[in-house]
Amino acid sequence: MTDAAERASDAREGHSDADGVAHGRNPERTGGYYHLLKAVIYRDLLIWVRYPLNAALGLFMGVFFFALMFYGGTLVAGEAFSDSIEGLIVGYFLWTLSLGAYSGIMNDIQSEASWGTLERHFMTPFGFGPVVLAKSIAIVFRTFMTSAVILVVMLLVTGTTLDLNLVTVLPVATLTIAGALGLGLVMGGLSVLYKRISNVANLLQFAFIGLISAPVFDLPWARVLPLVQGSAMLQRAMVDGTRLWEFDPGTLAVLVGTAGCYLALGYVAFSLTTRRARRLGVLGHY
Amino acid sequence: MMNGPPDAGQRLSNGPSVDTNEASPSLTRDDAAIYVDGLTKTFGGGEDAVTAVDDVSFTVAPGEVVGLLGPNGAGKTTTIKSILGLVLPDEGEVRVHGIDVHADPRAAYEHVDAMLEGARNDYWRLTVRENLRYFAAIRGQTPDAVADRHEELLDHLDLADKADTAVRDLSRGMKQKVSLASVLAGDISVAFLDEPTLGLDVESSLKLRTELRRLAEERGLTLVLSSHDMDVIEDVCDRVVIMNEGRVIVDDTVEDLLAGFETTGYRITARGVDDATLAAQQERFELSDVQRSGSRVRFEVAADTETFYRLTDAMEAHGLDVASVETVQPDLAEVFVEMTSRASERPDGEDIPSTGALSAEPPTGDGGGRR
Repeated sequence: MTDAAERASDAREGHSDADGVAHGRNPERTGGYYHLLKAVIYRDLLIWVRYPLNAALGLFMGVFFFALMFYGGTLVAGEAFSDSIEGLIVGYFLWTLSLGAYSGIMNDIQSEASWGTLERHFMTPFGFGPVVLAKSIAIVFRTFMTSAVILVVMLLVTGTTLDLNLVTVLPVATLTIAGALGLGLVMGGLSVLYKRISNVANLLQFAFIGLISAPVFDLPWARVLPLVQGSAMLQRAMVDGTRLWEFDPGTLAVLVGTAGCYLALGYVAFSLTTRRARRLGVLGHY
Repeated sequence: MMNGPPDAGQRLSNGPSVDTNEASPSLTRDDAAIYVDGLTKTFGGGEDAVTAVDDVSFTVAPGEVVGLLGPNGAGKTTTIKSILGLVLPDEGEVRVHGIDVHADPRAAYEHVDAMLEGARNDYWRLTVRENLRYFAAIRGQTPDAVADRHEELLDHLDLADKADTAVRDLSRGMKQKVSLASVLAGDISVAFLDEPTLGLDVESSLKLRTELRRLAEERGLTLVLSSHDMDVIEDVCDRVVIMNEGRVIVDDTVEDLLAGFETTGYRITARGVDDATLAAQQERFELSDVQRSGSRVRFEVAADTETFYRLTDAMEAHGLDVASVETVQPDLAEVFVEMTSRASERPDGEDIPSTGALSAEPPTGDGGGRR
């Protein structure tokens, strides 16, 4: 009997291996969701800094566009513009956050597909859903960091002060951009299925400006749209100093409800599109 | 459709059973490391429908190394992805260590991972070690707890010196090894490896083959390798499953496959040949790869012992001087070509001959399949 035949025979008879590890044993799990989240956040930050030009340009452009608006607006409208600068800063801060969350998750999914690593995230014992959720959290975490830098520069450039009560600002901002994250998941799922959707995806970025500046008092129904309710609340929190517990429960409920709905909608759409991609055999194609 | 994977002694999934010594082992769905039954996948519909995987069944025993072969478009990748749940099959049952992959994927993924994209299977901007730690973490491992195992893995794959180098700065072959390492970074017991030696130089390829065998023998890792490199398959695999046009056409041990082709070919050189003599020999025997230079001729012939002696007797009777006789042994590449070409030529539903039947076949015109 040849070596190969002996090996095959051994394998069929279910022999144990040399170091006493039984064939087909249950793999040892030493890590949990905490380790998953930590690894995904760390990897996201590593990838971000390993593309230093992209990271630096992102920050620079964020500041540059604001500076253009600020100096241009001051030049054209003078005092009148300066009176509304606080609102502009809060709106711009929220726009960078929303854009970061939306394009962050969408680009991440597209990049994973093009790098050939998307399918590996599907084949994890945690399941694809929790891994994508961990990715979303990592992207929100990084976006908060970059947007905070832009916010600080904006405040320094304009000499403005805002109420930055973190207990209020962080939850309101996080719930607000949950809607953008949901839309990012929808577009990410569509990009897995249809690959090139950048035209539609880019258009949606400009729609965010309209949503963030939507007049909620004149159009109360607009509160159910993504970003709208959170934008109004963030203005009150950062400009007027309203605390989280000072918002009426109905207002908070709309914020939480829209955030949950759009995130859930995004997740369901992502699940359906990736399932469809598996049906068509294009999950890992790019 | 077959009821379950073929029993021992069968080697074909789409024809009647054929007597061979070893084939897909007769393991139950709970005993097999990989159990595939009636896997079918069709893309598209109507006239454009393409059946990529057609009623594929086989089993793989724990610790076994199986080569999945087939020409381009044979359905290998779709089969692997369907087994892994990355492609949703239309029909069929797939189990990994008894766990239904499609019903309970998370439990199944505790055991299995795959290298499907070759060198593109990991993050090129991260270092080798960062990749291993990341993929271990998303597979439920604490990176620090398995750091020693990662060091050992890097050592075995000759990557220890490059552990803190970004993958993008490595050669193609090293990237390939990092991909493999990242798959093995988690504590898995079943791995699917698509072209694991692609891009490796000869030395690296040989080293990797040794490492794959070591993983199977020492760690009890069950491996399914898809490769066009027959030397790799012959060296590493216990068994070979050959696919063609979405079907399994051969499921047999490497040893039996090669043995089935050992009707041995001969390469004969003779002197004193003229046109009439050569024509007479060609009429009686199926000579191939005939090369003539003046009165000297060299040809190949597939023949059993009796036929060989009849041939040499006939040559002597015609006054030919036999200068040399070499035995020509088959290799897996030619077995593969022979099997797939036969499968492509046969009408639907016609039985595929066993290796024994193939060995009794007359030689092919070009001497293929007999080297």
